Amino acid sequence: MATDKSNFQLVTNGILQENPIFKLALSMCPAVGISTTVMNGLMLGTAVLFVQVFSSVTISLLKNFIHPRIRIPTYTLTIATWVTVIDLSLAAYFPAAYAQMGIFVKIIVAFAIITMRLEMFACKEPVSSSFWDGLGMGLGFMVGMVVIGLVRELLGSGAILGHDVLGFKPLLFFILPSAGFFVVGLMMGFFNWIEKYYAARKRGNR
Amino acid sequence: MKMIFTIIFRLTVSCLIAGTIMGMTFIVTNKAKKANEFAREEKVVYALLGYSKDRPIPESMGMHEVFRYLVLEGESQSIGYLVPTGGHGEEGGFGFIRISLDGTFIDQTDIVLSEDKVREQGERDLAIQTALGPARQVRFVDQTIVVTDHGSRTAYLLHGKFPGFKTNIGIMLALDPGYSIIGLEVMEHEEDPGLGAEIEQDYFKNQFKLKDFDTIKAIEVIKKPLPDEYFEALEGRIDEAAALDIMEQYKDQDIYALTGATISSDAVSSGVKGMTKKFAYRLDILDKVLEEQQIAVPF
Repeated sequence: MATDKSNFQLVTNGILQENPIFKLALSMCPAVGISTTVMNGLMLGTAVLFVQVFSSVTISLLKNFIHPRIRIPTYTLTIATWVTVIDLSLAAYFPAAYAQMGIFVKIIVAFAIITMRLEMFACKEPVSSSFWDGLGMGLGFMVGMVVIGLVRELLGSGAILGHDVLGFKPLLFFILPSAGFFVVGLMMGFFNWIEKYYAARKRGNR
Repeated sequence: MKMIFTIIFRLTVSCLIAGTIMGMTFIVTNKAKKANEFAREEKVVYALLGYSKDRPIPESMGMHEVFRYLVLEGESQSIGYLVPTGGHGEEGGFGFIRISLDGTFIDQTDIVLSEDKVREQGERDLAIQTALGPARQVRFVDQTIVVTDHGSRTAYLLHGKFPGFKTNIGIMLALDPGYSIIGLEVMEHEEDPGLGAEIEQDYFKNQFKLKDFDTIKAIEVIKKPLPDEYFEALEGRIDEAAALDIMEQYKDQDIYALTGATISSDAVSSGVKGMTKKFAYRLDILDKVLEEQQIAVPF
């Protein structure tokens, strides 16, 4: 039942074709809630990347041991375990980052994207493919968060990574949670537009 | 039937493995986490007291922690204070002083604890409980740090928690020996960003600075725009002497509420008011008892 995609394709698939935020529209709550700055997006993205990779590999390793009727509790338990591990490590070794996004790390337990990847991919595929798929999905989420964070930080507080670049604050609105929806919506449209454009060009070439 | 057992067995094994992993991580990281929390608190404390890289902490400064407990003995209640009884800088023991609710001394129990262990709530509670015996129950209430310089008191540091607009707001308050406010720092809160969260901004929290005990006792929140010169002074945008001068002028003023966050502003100012008033009352009682009973404390 192994996937026919190469490892590289699995990674790019998570970033482009099946980007969790822009294509699958999963885990929108953190995408809207915490992506106010590039740094926040990067930190949460990294945490999700670790949880996704660890959980995918764990489930893939245990796939023959997990009883099919009770796979959901096992997934949740796996995710919760890794989130706790990441949460405790962040609190211990990166206190400054943890102070900013402490509660959001705990919320990763309920991220739809992670459970969805375990159910769709890791429980059927071999360990190495699951690892690359998890990496791709995690990176896709991180890229999405950073891009949204970039737009919101630039427009909301006129800065990038905390450095003032514009010298003024164009629209304070972009910092507020509701602006997250606008940015995500516009980005989603942009992504789809690019895809359509390339698909059309491919057809034209043929 | 067989399937039930398979499911139960597999889930139990999963839970055990997960528990082991989480427990191991906890053990590995807990020490670093505690150290971080302690370091953060220490930083806040030094900032509140006005010490920084340019103004290092004098050697003669001492910090003494006083823990307040509620003691239940059947139906009756009393207050217990765990105070250090050794001299400054010495590894001394601790004394647990019980005071009745009307302010009279009941008894004193000696408690042996090391400096590190006294900060761990579990260890501390256990030590007090063992010393007092099973007939009495102790419940930790709060802790205060008494700062001394050359043996005389220079400041009190209080931890406080009170309901804000959304959840509890936790602050640390520094008072001088006359109960005037040296400064306050917001330690934790979950108020709305851009509105209630502004309580942690300098232009709000520094309004409490320099206010004396009489002003604090009657402090209110007013809904008026914050004067520009006061704002500049609070934010520290002008030089220190001039800022101090302006702050001195507004010393008896009430607290200017944050725009759009009256409830959060009100919560902080009444919280500070309550903390200061209660602390002054309690400390007077404790001091009286310490003096009457001739209990030697390092502060």
